[in-house]
Amino acid sequence: MPFKKPVQKYNASINTVELGVGDKKIVLGGENVLPLYTFDGAIENAPKVGIEISNLGYADQVPGISGFYADCATIADMAKKAASIEAVDFVCLKLDSADPNGNDAPIEDCVATAKAVAEAIDKPLVVAGCKNDEKDAALFTKIADALQGKNVLMFSAKEANYKGIAASAGLAYNQKVGAESAVDINLAKQLNVLITQMGVNAANVVMNTGAAAAGYGFEYVVSTMDRVKAAALGQNDVSLQLPIMTPVGSETWGVKESIASEEDMPAWGSQEKRGIGMEVTTAAAVLASGSNAVILRHPESVAAVAKMIKELI
Amino acid sequence: MGKFVVIGERIHCISPVIREAMNTMNPEPILKRAEEQLKAGATYLDLNIGPAESNGEELMKWAVTTLQGAFDNVPLALDTANMKAIEAGISVYNRSKGKPIVNSADAGDRIEYIDLAANNDAICVALCSKAGVPADNDERMAYLQEMLERGLTLGMEPEDLWFDPLFLVIKGMQDKQMDVLEFIRMISEQGLNSTGGLSNNSNGMPKHIRPIMDSAMVAMAMMCGLTSAIVNPCDLRLMETIKSCDIIKNETLYADSYLEI
Amino acid sequence: MALKGIDIFKLTPKTNCKECGNPTCMAFSMKVASGAVEITKCPHLSDEVLAQVNESNAPPMKTIAVKAGDVEFKLGGETVLYRHEKTFVSKTLYAMTLCTDRDDNDARLAESMKVDYDRIGERMYSEFIFVNCGEKKDEFVALAQKAAAANRGVVLNCSDVETMKAAATAIKDAQPILNGANASNYEAMSAVATELGCILGVSGADLDELYDTVTKIEALGNKNLILDVGTASVKAAFEGAVQIRRAALLNKDRTFGYPTIVNVAKLAAGDEAFETALASLFTMKYGSIVVLSDMTYAKSLALHGLRQNVFTDPQKPMKVEPGIYPLNKADADAPCCLTVDFALTYFVVSGELERSGVPCNLLISDAGGYSVLTAWAAGKLSAGTIVKFINEYEIANKINNRTLIIPGKVAVLKGEIQDKLPDWNVVVGPAEAVGLVKFMKDLQA
Repeated sequence: MPFKKPVQKYNASINTVELGVGDKKIVLGGENVLPLYTFDGAIENAPKVGIEISNLGYADQVPGISGFYADCATIADMAKKAASIEAVDFVCLKLDSADPNGNDAPIEDCVATAKAVAEAIDKPLVVAGCKNDEKDAALFTKIADALQGKNVLMFSAKEANYKGIAASAGLAYNQKVGAESAVDINLAKQLNVLITQMGVNAANVVMNTGAAAAGYGFEYVVSTMDRVKAAALGQNDVSLQLPIMTPVGSETWGVKESIASEEDMPAWGSQEKRGIGMEVTTAAAVLASGSNAVILRHPESVAAVAKMIKELI
Repeated sequence: MGKFVVIGERIHCISPVIREAMNTMNPEPILKRAEEQLKAGATYLDLNIGPAESNGEELMKWAVTTLQGAFDNVPLALDTANMKAIEAGISVYNRSKGKPIVNSADAGDRIEYIDLAANNDAICVALCSKAGVPADNDERMAYLQEMLERGLTLGMEPEDLWFDPLFLVIKGMQDKQMDVLEFIRMISEQGLNSTGGLSNNSNGMPKHIRPIMDSAMVAMAMMCGLTSAIVNPCDLRLMETIKSCDIIKNETLYADSYLEI
Repeated sequence: MALKGIDIFKLTPKTNCKECGNPTCMAFSMKVASGAVEITKCPHLSDEVLAQVNESNAPPMKTIAVKAGDVEFKLGGETVLYRHEKTFVSKTLYAMTLCTDRDDNDARLAESMKVDYDRIGERMYSEFIFVNCGEKKDEFVALAQKAAAANRGVVLNCSDVETMKAAATAIKDAQPILNGANASNYEAMSAVATELGCILGVSGADLDELYDTVTKIEALGNKNLILDVGTASVKAAFEGAVQIRRAALLNKDRTFGYPTIVNVAKLAAGDEAFETALASLFTMKYGSIVVLSDMTYAKSLALHGLRQNVFTDPQKPMKVEPGIYPLNKADADAPCCLTVDFALTYFVVSGELERSGVPCNLLISDAGGYSVLTAWAAGKLSAGTIVKFINEYEIANKINNRTLIIPGKVAVLKGEIQDKLPDWNVVVGPAEAVGLVKFMKDLQA
């Protein structure tokens, strides 16, 4: 008796969003099947892997990260080095120094940094803020202006600051807008509605539906994405048919498993391997749940996750 | 069961404006009404060309291509006593946004509409009555079974038969309303789809009352499992109620702006 | 799931013979569906159809009980494809690999067995040992015995019936899973499994062959199975894991209503980070047993953490044990930070406190597994419950410092707690955990 294969192919599909310009530009989304289910239908645009660099540098990171950038004098050098990894599809510049509760770097400095990084690489650029809503809104507005024509993603606008970011990045300067919500599917939908109601084309918006490291309330991340894809494809809910990008490295490299020293936890073994384990586990899991792009930190994680995507698509 | 399907009823030859437009094949008034209904949230549009005995085929083809051409292949319910006109309409119909609906069969003279739908891979509205109002739900169920069996024998999928419980006017048949709702529940429990001219319940009531009564009826009917209705989507209160019920039934995902989308 | 009237109608002769006392087959079917009439009233239904109707009331995916040393686990029995729809009932289990062709089995086994710890009330370790029969068949029995002695579950992986039989018989008390049936040996292999009362692992060159082989094994009367998705490619294994689960739950195809085994060690071929990525993928998508090359903390901390989250019941919050958790090498002189026992809150708060580097004693009070505001609203985090906790756990005897930091979201409780604990200095902390780093540093300064 032959096996009758079930098929879950939908009339609805995820929007495509282009990032970057030129030969190295990338396309996120476009699929009309569940995440990675190529046996239900072709997935034209494989999920993408980005690498994260911080403008605070990575000197205090594990050897595989700090060592990788050891010969880089500037953030632009770091960006170039990061983008030189073949498996890397895009670079995410994190402007950690802008944090008013930290270094409180002036906006002009951050704009200059973003410009230098954008000039240094030919792969698409994602700009992430410092998690301070007000500062991020001001930063993104200036950077969106300064990087016109580069088609960069401002990652991300939240409920508290979306208006300015959507108006500048999404409307005035023709960049891409990230819409970030913290594992709350109703808010994810609402934020998309609000941003598109301002006149921003949904094809210029990428969602971040919330991130966490595996083991840290990750079930909410999974269920939010599962439900987003079910609504987008199964219910043809256009306000959720946006590709998802998930910052993984910035979550996983902050948890105990990745930061506890070998001195403190001798039984646990290599800190670096633990950190990579957390990063690739979390990345593979969000890809299985529906992320169209992940942002990672360790070059070995990038290689492993890119290999998995290549094998699956 | 999926999101509630609103079939917009306002392109109907009973309206003098539409009748005149159909007589002269003037697209403007028809397109205007279609646009209003789609903006208001209709999924399907009912296209009633009346008896159209003489030029039905030509008229239906023209109306289908006109509407689908103007509104991205909007799915349509083809509604006329002229079966040939329905077949003609389906011959030019684009299915990319949904199968055509044949409106409608019953268990009496119009039972062959099921054959028409089956032969053309269409959805068929199946009115659970033969002649006049069924005495009780046993009678409705007997008609349902007869039509279901006929459809299945002809190779239709059960979900392509949308059973109409026959909504009754409250002013006159108030004591029958719960029967209708109970029958909707019986349809739903079999996993079958349902639809119908829901606003018939408020016929004859003052204009300002009708949206209130229709909204109450649709909420109660959706609770019982009604999956679609042929209504006026420009009735804002009614549409708001339907959208809210879809949220409560978890058929659409809530967002603060849900009424605006 | 019970059959609907239409499904039953499709099984009837559709002749409207009226022998059942109903006017039509459709009317009869509707009545059977509603429970008003027994299906057996129709004299024209074959035993096969009756069996089909009965089976449709059985769950779509079998629950297979498996022994793993002193412990018993359940595999399969899932009813949903997504955790939010209800809950996953049988968590993914992990295995480390021994192979007859390797000479470092003892050392690797010992290393893998060292990974054994508790995470929020759940024991985390390699529940299984996967014993692979390579070229050196004559060493299979001895290696199987070594695995059985480790008090874990054993999966014997071998397609040679005689070799499998020898090893399985030697460790039959351990009730190993016999992963070795395929299209060419299934009869003999199934007989060995049935004789020893073991679960039989079945594989196929592709899904069609696997389906066919399972059908034939079921016809032999053996329904104690686990399906191996194979190692032809990552893509094929992923399709297998998904299709088997979907066939059972969406199509109600019980031939594939079994748990699965996925050998990611073989698929990753020695690339450790890639192996971890694949193990994560198959934990998410429907692997019942995931076979790793070995178990290390680098894999376990991440994978077991993931598993604990994904397989948690959405209806029941994860709780940590109430008590004192000293952080950053805190001693009895370090200040106390109090919060609730909701696992997520614990992780976020302890993570931020650790990031601050300031020694402190994290006090976890019993709040029914709710978050701070929910617990407060439910009356599970109040001045009364906090004082009760401090007394019950004899905090004042164990800790000398008298600073008690409470969550900023329940600042309203400060006065009442202060009244009831006059010896303490009650301090209101930040409303969000992210504020803790700065708050603790300021407090220390």
